[in-house]
Amino acid sequence: MSQKKLAFVFPPFASDYPDDPFANLTGFDDCFRKFLSRAAEFADPDLIQFAIPSKTFLEDELKTQYISYIQACSLVSWFHDKGVVPAYCSGYSMGIYAALFQAEVISFLDGLVLIRQAYKEIKKATGKQEYGMCAIIGLNQDDVEQLIQKEKLNLKLAIQNSVCSFSISGAAGDVTKLTESAQKEGALSTRVLNVSVPYHSFFLKDTAGGFSEFVNQMQFRSPKMPIVSLVDQEILLEEHALKNEVVRNLFTSLNWYETQLYLQELGVNRFVECGSGKGIVKNARFIEGDAVSYTANSFTELLD
Amino acid sequence: MALITENTRKEVKDIVYNFFADECEVDIKDIHPDTNIINDIDGDSLMFLELIEIFKKKYNLDIELKTIGKYSVKHPVQTIGQLIDMQLLIIEHENKLLELDH
Repeated sequence: MSQKKLAFVFPPFASDYPDDPFANLTGFDDCFRKFLSRAAEFADPDLIQFAIPSKTFLEDELKTQYISYIQACSLVSWFHDKGVVPAYCSGYSMGIYAALFQAEVISFLDGLVLIRQAYKEIKKATGKQEYGMCAIIGLNQDDVEQLIQKEKLNLKLAIQNSVCSFSISGAAGDVTKLTESAQKEGALSTRVLNVSVPYHSFFLKDTAGGFSEFVNQMQFRSPKMPIVSLVDQEILLEEHALKNEVVRNLFTSLNWYETQLYLQELGVNRFVECGSGKGIVKNARFIEGDAVSYTANSFTELLD
Repeated sequence: MALITENTRKEVKDIVYNFFADECEVDIKDIHPDTNIINDIDGDSLMFLELIEIFKKKYNLDIELKTIGKYSVKHPVQTIGQLIDMQLLIIEHENKLLELDH
């Protein structure tokens, strides 16, 4: 096993923005503004108004996905200019599009196209049904699944983050019920997430046909670096595997816990969360091994 | 059941204060027993969980997370002082923590 390998992890879209998440990245704002300007011109003119803390679009899921993707791509570009290139990359949830950009599989604009189309397919698939997601920390997988079964809740486990941290998707009312019963069962923390889509669950299965057709018409280049799947922890190298990943990412459960462990097996001992939050960094404390996880900001301190 | 000595109390207090000073990037002098973990120093539930893991390892504790969770429902922790008291109870009673309410 070789030593000192670096992996970039692209997080899901933001649920909040810290005041100055990239304070240590000299020149980052100019880089971000260039990407933002291109995105505003191409995808949505409103994006140009993005500013922390006054205009963050957190109430609009599609715009928030755009912003998170733009930030991630700006980080890729900024680190690239500093000569920092990871050995592996991985996209957590909607972070898959930025991972594809990192590996030069798609262009920046193609990522925006994919995000827009995925959102369109999601809205078509969910219709007027009310869906949601929640996070439960402190119970194990059996506990969570037993609660869902016992109370006959229309929910599915969507993401595993560690042995005791999960995200669950499904009917909005049942999401709330699960958080209440999980608290009684002894969960240390439960939280209804600020999303209206049951990501990474079979509730989005109907996105497969339309989105697959759309993705297959796009051109995907060979990746310049290995991308590790959060679905099955495979290394994605072929065009068909990458396209399949983008499609199944919407309706298949993800496992970040197993993915981080696998990357560690591959020799990765440093992870950088390429986004404005630090959810993946915080979660890393509960994953075995000696790897160290950094935010983009804290990792930059090491470069000086 | 472990015996809680003055030394244990000091050790737990030092670990908790240093942990939050480090994690929340605040001066340890600004942390007091009545410091509200979420409102005053921007702490979160993952930090609480991490502290539990630290104490589980340090004192070789036999306790399930959900036992602590169930106890927390009846005895919610908001301040540093309450957190230290709860950690001492966890060390002392481990998986019998819930029996304290009977």
